[in-house]
Amino acid sequence: MTATEPARRAGQVLEPPPAAPIQAGRKRRSPTRPSPLLWLFVLPALLLYVVFFVGPTLFALQYSITDWDGISPSFGYVGTANYTELFTDDTIFRRALGNNLRFVLVVVVLQTVLSLLFAMLLVRNTRGSILLRALFFFPTILSSVSVAFVWSFVYDPNGGLLQEIGVPGPAQGWLGSEDTALYALAVTQVWFHTGQMLVVFVAGLQAIPAELYEAAELEGASGWQSFRHVTWPLVAPATAIVLAYTTIQSFKAFDLVFAMTQGGPNYSTEILATLIYNTAFVNFRFGYAAAESVVFMVLVGLVAWLQRRALRVEREA
Amino acid sequence: MHFLSRRRTARALPVLATLAALALTAGCAGGGGDGGDQQAADQKQTISFYHWRAEDKETFDALIKDFQAKNANITVEQSIFPSEQYQATAQTKIRDGSVGDVFTVFRGAQFESVAKAGLFADLTDEGFVDNYQESLIEPGRREGKQLGLPYQLVFNDPLYSKAAFAKAGVQVPTSWPAFLDTCRKLKSAGYIPVAFPGGDPNNAGQLLNTMVMNNLPADDGFAQLEQGKTKATDAWWVKTLTQYKQAQDAGCFAPNALGTKTDAALALFAQGKAAILPTGSFQVAAVRKQAPDLEIDLFAPITTETPGEAKYEGVYNATFILGVNARSAKQAAAKKFVEYLSDPANAATYANGTAQLVTVKDVKYDSPDLAFTEPWLTKKTLLAPRFQFTNLEIRSAIENSVIAVLGGKDPAQAATEAQKIVDEKR
Repeated sequence: MTATEPARRAGQVLEPPPAAPIQAGRKRRSPTRPSPLLWLFVLPALLLYVVFFVGPTLFALQYSITDWDGISPSFGYVGTANYTELFTDDTIFRRALGNNLRFVLVVVVLQTVLSLLFAMLLVRNTRGSILLRALFFFPTILSSVSVAFVWSFVYDPNGGLLQEIGVPGPAQGWLGSEDTALYALAVTQVWFHTGQMLVVFVAGLQAIPAELYEAAELEGASGWQSFRHVTWPLVAPATAIVLAYTTIQSFKAFDLVFAMTQGGPNYSTEILATLIYNTAFVNFRFGYAAAESVVFMVLVGLVAWLQRRALRVEREA
Repeated sequence: MHFLSRRRTARALPVLATLAALALTAGCAGGGGDGGDQQAADQKQTISFYHWRAEDKETFDALIKDFQAKNANITVEQSIFPSEQYQATAQTKIRDGSVGDVFTVFRGAQFESVAKAGLFADLTDEGFVDNYQESLIEPGRREGKQLGLPYQLVFNDPLYSKAAFAKAGVQVPTSWPAFLDTCRKLKSAGYIPVAFPGGDPNNAGQLLNTMVMNNLPADDGFAQLEQGKTKATDAWWVKTLTQYKQAQDAGCFAPNALGTKTDAALALFAQGKAAILPTGSFQVAAVRKQAPDLEIDLFAPITTETPGEAKYEGVYNATFILGVNARSAKQAAAKKFVEYLSDPANAATYANGTAQLVTVKDVKYDSPDLAFTEPWLTKKTLLAPRFQFTNLEIRSAIENSVIAVLGGKDPAQAATEAQKIVDEKR
């Protein structure tokens, strides 16, 4: 609350504050024009951003048109050859791209639906809800390698948890079958991050005024109608955050895949992040890996833009 | 709002700009160059020994302690990374000089790329090179120069449990039909015949060495495949894939083999549930930790119809290639440490402490675990073909065709798909 607020409430007419006397011979800066000195406060963050994001991105663009192996001091420029090879002559890249899109789709749908569902169930600040929210959030604070280790045990076909409790699965094991390995990883990813998204949704749901639900109830709206016409439109900003974050997180799910399957069996869990890593650090084709990274960056940007656009259309409708 | 007067701003800006420039300069300087400030030989020096053998740490600790006692001005620090991580990051770390005054590399692709980048100091004229068996250090040679010294002599042949073979009433098979029969009998006796670590691409590929050794069109068959002189769709590779399928149908592999990691496979073997561990002698020490009394030996699946047709009895690999970093400012100290490891008495300490044969001459082996590997020195063995690949994308394509067959794909189809990737990646 500002100092003028009680006076405004009392219906008084407020006078503008007296202007400071203009000193002779000096121009007075417009109060709306920020001092150039303020840029100094942005400088540290800007420097970090340029050094660690803009710089590497520009370097990646440069390397993507070279044949650099990542070790040799010199390299040659190859024009668009890396990009041409990527799109016309690289079965593994196309497979990794397909796997990645499937992985993202499964994770985004499952994680968004589950986190919204749990958030709606746990939106009230009762002791039980708070405890359960904390429990759901718990996996988020674990390191991804620990999560990979735990879930490798869960899926282990030699006495793993699922086998011990009698859950039927493929003969080769969940991570050993080409048909199930990617989905098994997706389930792990969902378990890992649903609690985090739940918190975002709880914040979004708690911001919806209770009066709207009361009005809907008075109008005779069903539970579904309340959700469709009150909850869903008003939780849209939180949904936008969850969708964007989950999408980017799923595209980058390198650590789980690397620790649990290393892209196998037979490339069935190879995703773009693991492929780029292998191309650069195992096969020493940094130039080609840079081209893969550029395509990856464009793809993530495109998907994020499409999501934002779709949500805006939904909100406007 | 004005935080500072204009005059103050004018004074502050150059100061801030100078500070920013200093910070940037300091940041750039931190990366280091090639180490121009070479320390004098009599000064105290700390060198880094960079390798992937965590299981050898204790033995190396003892050796380093002895080395330091004899070379009071040199301290050796071990930097150990797991082998998969080592494959991926070693080149970068060696190049930037953060670790690895003395380093190790795998034979094949990694040796080639480090050599190509000029990171090996030339050891050709060092006297200690003569301590090694010349034929075994060939993989460390390039363009007439001895760049690295393969230290370990590994047999990438499957380990088997003598007790399991005895209980199932089987002898070591010497032909393909006998191998399939051995699997059937072991399975009937309640064993998992082969604890295949199909969930771990690195170790799943070890069996490939022996499966292919008698099928290759030439000893350098995989190198030829990489060069395009032979194809994955040729009869020899389709035959190898078909034999994997036959082995699976005969019950050699557990149904869940493709989801089994190396640790699980090792545990199954050490606990006596599996009869064969298809990796190699490099896992003897790990087996011993879990099963000190398990009687084990090496054998290789022979893929010919009759024993007489087989050209080779097994495979070997000369690896753990020791190198001195060409970018190190402490090369003299690094070479002293390599010289120390190359001494037969010290090499014997390493060999007996880690249950690994070494390529150094005149080494006395007294570890009981080396007693069964030593006879393999005189057997007909082929330098492990899997490491002929210098392009790991092509190697992955070939190894993945095995996984595809064990996952149910037709061998000819799997070979066709592998060849497509080979053609793309060549």
